[in-house]
Amino acid sequence: MNERRMYDMVVVGGGPGGYSAALYAARAGLDTVVLEKLSAGGQMALTQQIDNYPGFEEGVDGFELGEKMQAQAHRFGAVTEYAEVHGVDFTSDPKVIHTSEGAFYGRTVVIATGANPRELGLAGERELVGRGVAYCAACDGMAYRGKTVVVVGGGNSAVGDALLLSRIAKKVILVHRRDTLRATKVYHDQLRKAENVEFRWNSAVAQLLHQEKVTGVRLRNVLTGEEETLDCDGVFISVGRKPVTEFLAGAVALDGSGYVVADETTAASVRGVYAVGDVRTKLLRQVVTAVADGAMAVHMAEEYLAENA
Amino acid sequence: MAANNINAVKFQELIHGEKPVLVDFWAPWCGYCRRIGPAYDQIAGQYGEDLNVVKVNIDEEPGLAEVWKIEVIPTLVLYRGGQAIDSVTAPQSKADIERFIKAGLSR
Repeated sequence: MNERRMYDMVVVGGGPGGYSAALYAARAGLDTVVLEKLSAGGQMALTQQIDNYPGFEEGVDGFELGEKMQAQAHRFGAVTEYAEVHGVDFTSDPKVIHTSEGAFYGRTVVIATGANPRELGLAGERELVGRGVAYCAACDGMAYRGKTVVVVGGGNSAVGDALLLSRIAKKVILVHRRDTLRATKVYHDQLRKAENVEFRWNSAVAQLLHQEKVTGVRLRNVLTGEEETLDCDGVFISVGRKPVTEFLAGAVALDGSGYVVADETTAASVRGVYAVGDVRTKLLRQVVTAVADGAMAVHMAEEYLAENA
Repeated sequence: MAANNINAVKFQELIHGEKPVLVDFWAPWCGYCRRIGPAYDQIAGQYGEDLNVVKVNIDEEPGLAEVWKIEVIPTLVLYRGGQAIDSVTAPQSKADIERFIKAGLSR
């Protein structure tokens, strides 16, 4: 075992949950490393303006907030390694994290890998990201001023995206596979009042039409099979999120959607392993709930380390 | 070591030089481009002996983006002897960028 890579706590993922755990751990005197594959902030780093994180009355840029959280954890002695995690072994003591930069060893592990937008799985979808296909209206909406956009989905985030885009775009067409929205009632009236929003119920996107950029979509009615072509400049896909848990491969219990099963204590099914932020089973996925998880995980880890000294 | 932004003149000079060149085509308004930044600066330090690691802001150098058909950013392009030998768009991790560099240099 490489002694240099032995830590009290290994945090996998450098978003707000991960760096809050690192901050609390470092302040508690735990030797802590954060393994991050690209840069601090996670999904938050792609949000230009965060208005619901307290303490920033004018809002705060998500990327900057990520860098600040990282710098704050570093100030107390936590370190960051740029490493992509490939697999884990939680049966050994210490626990092992296999990465692109070799193995890291932790007496405790915090899983903070977050969740990414779910894709529709259409031909050309990945290649067209940034050329008409988008997953974040708040991030990419401004590019569609005065244009026509399709929003796919029927949950709160899809409806929120449609509302936001209705204030920017010329026309918004909401495409949903069912005949009603799953979104919270307060959104419904707002959406019906927006004069430039149209609906296509019981419909799914069958094909992305494009040259260099998206030019339209082919819709299929899921009940009748009837097809329709819509011209549009952009397609915002808002059909939920996919947790980043493939690397765990049976090491801890996951729920049916792939989230790490853990309650408010953040304790996962293996002792000494904690799940924080969007990757955990929880009702509300926000920056403030992620940072709360980070603090809780360290509280639990300190108890565990005291019992297993 | 941070990766420096270069202009079109410097770009021509570098890509025809002896060392291969890695260019990150980016723009300040591109959120994902910023996420690449810290890892890219580290790569500039790590690979600096074998490779010129630089950036081109496509808002300041729209001509270069047009000539090299950069449609989506961030796009990383590896040049050798004045030719683009490979490119990758929106790499997902620092490890992704390193795999891209190693594959390109071993050609």
